[in-house]
Amino acid sequence: MSSELSSAIKNVLSDEADVRIATAAYQAEFPYERDEEAQVTRREFCGFLFLTSSALFLGAAAFSAKAAYDAKAEARFAPAAINGADAMQPGSAINFHYPTDDESAILVRAKDGSYAAFGQKCTHLSCPVHYSKQNDRLECPCHEGGFDAKTGEVLYGPPPRPLDKINIELRSGQVFAIGREVRGNES
Amino acid sequence: MKASRTSSSKTPIGRGRSAVWQARLVLLVMINLAQLWILSAVVDAALAREFRHLGPLIVASGVCWLIALTIFLWWKPAGARRSGSA
Repeated sequence: MSSELSSAIKNVLSDEADVRIATAAYQAEFPYERDEEAQVTRREFCGFLFLTSSALFLGAAAFSAKAAYDAKAEARFAPAAINGADAMQPGSAINFHYPTDDESAILVRAKDGSYAAFGQKCTHLSCPVHYSKQNDRLECPCHEGGFDAKTGEVLYGPPPRPLDKINIELRSGQVFAIGREVRGNES
Repeated sequence: MKASRTSSSKTPIGRGRSAVWQARLVLLVMINLAQLWILSAVVDAALAREFRHLGPLIVASGVCWLIALTIFLWWKPAGARRSGSA
């Protein structure tokens, strides 16, 4: 009796009393050594946290540097004809890929017959925008952002900056994309 | 190891040291959370091309890192400092 009591007291006072015991069947698949787990001390955990802090600082600095460098570097893209642009009716839009095959863009022909092209990624969270003929604007269905169909400026909603503008040129009746302009709140 | 941990937490000095370690841990966790928030703000500002916000955010993250460094290197229990071990 006294030995049972003393062992119970020992268990209560022990650091390890609340440690789960690897007895379940599935734990045979993931054996782990309790002794090794116990060796992760607070000191080591503090070390991990400090390393995490260093990584977060370096990550923030690297991301900022990359963003600033990309904004300064002028990208030049080869002109590309936009197929089907000449057959567009006023108040319509078509999709095309520019400057690479992975980047979709949208060409809008306004009701007055003028053309304007923009990158199709919403500047909020990169959902694809579409042309709303009814409202004559570009709309993002994800979070209800709206852009002017002629300028790409934000009309309403959460997008923080205008759509990327695709510069276009009319060459002997055919519409060519000749460059991309990333616009924003640079300062 | 088990014996030393149990005995050290029983004495007032042991409890004090334990509290200091616990405080370091909590402070470092809070600093990490703040830095995570700063990182998300950096990404947000960069995507919005609001580059004027990037500098202060990096400085803030650097200050957090310096505080973490200070806590990690020099914030130790008095007894540990005297004896040279924690």
